[in-house]
Amino acid sequence: MIHPVDTLLSLVLLSVLFSFGTSRLQGLIKVVAFQGIVASMVPFFIGHDMSAGGVVFTVATLLIRGIIIPLCIYLAIKKVAIRREVEPIVGYHASILFGLGLIVGATYVSRQLNLPAISEYLLVTPTAVALLVTGMFFLIARRNAIAMVLGYIMMENGIYLVGTTFSSHVRHIVEFGILLDVLAGVMIMGIILQNINKTFDDVDTALLRTLKE
Amino acid sequence: MIESVILWFLGILTAPFFSAIILKVKAFFGGKKGPPLLINYYTLIKLFKKGSVYSNSTTFVFKLGPIISLATAVTVLMFLPIAGYNPIFSFNGDVIFIMYIMGLGRFFTIAAAMDTASPFEGMGAAREAYFPIICEAAMFMILIFFYRLTGELQLASFFSGGNTLGLWNMAGAPLLFIVIAFFIILLTENSRVPVDDPATHLELTMIHEVMVLDHSGPDFGLIELGAFCKLFFYATLISRLILPFDFGVPAFGFALFVLGLFIVYLAIGVTESVIARYRMDKVPQFVLTSFALAFFAIIISLEFIK
Amino acid sequence: MVEIIFLAPFVTGLLAFFLPKTIGRQLLVGTGAIHLILSLLLWKNRSVPIFENYFAVTPEGLLSLLVISLLFFLISIYTMAYLKETDLKSENIFTGSMLLFLSTMTMVTLSDHIMVMWIAIEATTLASAPLIYTYRTSASLEATWKYLLICSVGIAMALLGTVLITLAMDVGNVDAPLSFSALTGVAKDLDPMWLKAGFVFILVGYGTKMGLAPMHTWLPDAHSEAPSPASALLSGVLLNCAYLGIFKTHKIMHAAGLGDFSGTILIVFGLMSILAAATFILKQKEYKRMLAYSSIENMGIIAFGTGIGGLAAYGAVICMIHHSLIKSSLFLSSGNMLLGYKDRLIENTGNMASRMPKTFVAFFAGFAGISGFPPFGIFIGELFIIVGAFKTGHYVAAGIFILSMCFIFAGFANQVMKISFADFINKDDASTDPKKIADPAGTIPFKEKASLVWPQYILLLTSLILCFFIPDTLYQAIIEAVTAIGGGIK
Repeated sequence: MIHPVDTLLSLVLLSVLFSFGTSRLQGLIKVVAFQGIVASMVPFFIGHDMSAGGVVFTVATLLIRGIIIPLCIYLAIKKVAIRREVEPIVGYHASILFGLGLIVGATYVSRQLNLPAISEYLLVTPTAVALLVTGMFFLIARRNAIAMVLGYIMMENGIYLVGTTFSSHVRHIVEFGILLDVLAGVMIMGIILQNINKTFDDVDTALLRTLKE
Repeated sequence: MIESVILWFLGILTAPFFSAIILKVKAFFGGKKGPPLLINYYTLIKLFKKGSVYSNSTTFVFKLGPIISLATAVTVLMFLPIAGYNPIFSFNGDVIFIMYIMGLGRFFTIAAAMDTASPFEGMGAAREAYFPIICEAAMFMILIFFYRLTGELQLASFFSGGNTLGLWNMAGAPLLFIVIAFFIILLTENSRVPVDDPATHLELTMIHEVMVLDHSGPDFGLIELGAFCKLFFYATLISRLILPFDFGVPAFGFALFVLGLFIVYLAIGVTESVIARYRMDKVPQFVLTSFALAFFAIIISLEFIK
Repeated sequence: MVEIIFLAPFVTGLLAFFLPKTIGRQLLVGTGAIHLILSLLLWKNRSVPIFENYFAVTPEGLLSLLVISLLFFLISIYTMAYLKETDLKSENIFTGSMLLFLSTMTMVTLSDHIMVMWIAIEATTLASAPLIYTYRTSASLEATWKYLLICSVGIAMALLGTVLITLAMDVGNVDAPLSFSALTGVAKDLDPMWLKAGFVFILVGYGTKMGLAPMHTWLPDAHSEAPSPASALLSGVLLNCAYLGIFKTHKIMHAAGLGDFSGTILIVFGLMSILAAATFILKQKEYKRMLAYSSIENMGIIAFGTGIGGLAAYGAVICMIHHSLIKSSLFLSSGNMLLGYKDRLIENTGNMASRMPKTFVAFFAGFAGISGFPPFGIFIGELFIIVGAFKTGHYVAAGIFILSMCFIFAGFANQVMKISFADFINKDDASTDPKKIADPAGTIPFKEKASLVWPQYILLLTSLILCFFIPDTLYQAIIEAVTAIGGGIK
């Protein structure tokens, strides 16, 4: 029978596919928010020991990953009036096909890894790996600076998923510290994005190529 | 056997009726009353009464086109398990046969269109040849999925009797993705919005309409009937997928099937009213989505059926 | 309480965002002085931190801490004078970020928990990003963007590597606290495959921050666009902090018996960095970019030495200390050059020997030091590395090393000669001012004040002295640090 967390994770994988094919940034932000929420909720389902402190931290993680971080980017976008669609380096068809191949690859690799801690939850490792590689793909294959930042957030969500599920030791304070770092990073990136837009009047990173060698 | 033949006849007869539902739904969204539900019958009768006009630059292929398109649509219905009953014909591998029969019909429509030597129709033919390619890839993905689940290649083994419920039990939620993928294929193969607008006759927006621009009278009637039957075919499949239940009492199962058909046509109508037609270069993306969904469903289900 | 060393600058940094400019400058120097005193005290007392799970006082950490302290104090004196000469918009962001930068770097040197180290290193990235953007030009914006993105992504890779190490613990059924010291203790029981994978990711991640090729692309832009005191900190100190993360992981690998694997990878990355620096330094047109490429080269040297181990590891640590001292003095001198010539391009400078003699002495001595001339420390360090490489049989690697050194020296020397002795062509050549026509060399628009020159001198002198005489405690600390990765003087 299919575990409920696997249903959620299959939806996350679907959102990953969707993010490959979309060019609308609002959609991307919602996708990243959804992924953040699901990734934060996974520890609840996997059966980690949930003391009161653990629950508080998990809820706080959910708030930050799922709501505050996407909100930062959303606010940065609102002030950035995007006038034209930035052509990505890798086109949409190729991206979707890459995404499909990625999911297959992630599933295959996860089966090879054969981790003891999460062998009953079949979709956790493929989802984590898929999120990670998708984030990196966005950083490389998209020219829009905002999409790159969203890719970074996606990558961090993937690493978080890897972290919580790979090890059975759960250290809440430390993970929270990591999360605060990511939050601060995203906020600073948001400020830089606004400055980029002010200076160049566009968020196309091809304009940020003047410093060479 | 007799029931299968009767159902087949009924299918052909009622196909125009169901297509009228779409028109009603669209009119409802526009705040209008819409044409009567029997409009398509009136249209067919009107067309059959007319005479035909053939251009001098056409050959026999042009006359052949409508006949073959109707013939293939009707043949394909013979393999269809309507309301869960066994179809008239069924053999192992008939799904592939069905797909290629439909391809044959499409080929002759395209050939007839190009036979007129009109540039409009050549353009429509090119588009019509392109989009179904991706559709076929998606269809084959779905077929692979079903084959993996059941190990059989007969349409009957997927959709007749209690088999569909068995599919749901085996695969579970991924089947939902298959339903969505199927719906997208339906929209593409039958030239519905957002792939093609059946209501406009502007050269920039037509795919299917432009190909049949030169047909008139009874020929056009045959083509229309063929289109209704094709839509009925796809709608039946989806109806079976979403309401796979089978009860002992045949009348009840039949009613459920008709309800399913209503839902599907309603959905088509709503989609047509709510979504605008996509720009030409976004259409392949749209169809690729159905391919991606089917592929995705396969991967997910592979995980759980080991 | 050991944690004060990084908590105090953190608090003053936050304060500096809100206080007026003059107080901010004094806060900078004051915090630097207190920090230096606290570090020296810690060096003598070796007390234990309160949060034992997360922080620890290690020999390599102490070495870095001392270097950071000394550098920051001297740089803060220079900064106070520098800020008086230039006019920065939103100076309190600059001052506040410098202090936060100090605080986070200190945290790196004191961290023991692998995740806390990650948090600290990422925090240094975030604290230093505003520093690069100080001048608000589009070039500095581009540099800040690249810096932020590349370093954050690299550090995310390091996080993945850290997670893989925890996995190595689980697969090996080891239950130990996640600190470097504890892990080094149980290293033999950790699963080797995951440990290796974790090391590779951590090396790629922290190596990005350290400036190892091919992840170094952010470094020349960031270090050249930032104001000179910030560049001095970035080049002299931050790269060391990133190295610390790699060093500690290498320690674990060595304890687990996988020292050869990690050493080989370090050698490869080190050589790649040196070669990359050699290739690009030959065509540099700006002096600050040139210095940045020299930093890449030195980081490559340090990685190379660490990878070889043995005597070379000792040489690598020596190189690290001296590189910090000399490179920061070079960057401070470049600050003077910017004030004097008002241009970053080399072709618009020249004749520094007569125009800015005091800076010239510092700059030229720094150039000599960083290229490996005796009597500066890098000479000893590189000597040990080469000897160590030959001793362990890495002949080809040593050969490539020596060749690249020559290239870099040639490129560097070429530019430095131009800056120091070539004729200075004043940009306002076509002026009709009778004073300017009479004196075509032009007059220096600024005086070389004491506090703009003495910090560099002190740094260079320290390096000189340390070359000949190493206090025993210092020597012990270095040996302790290096033995853990299989190094030492034999």
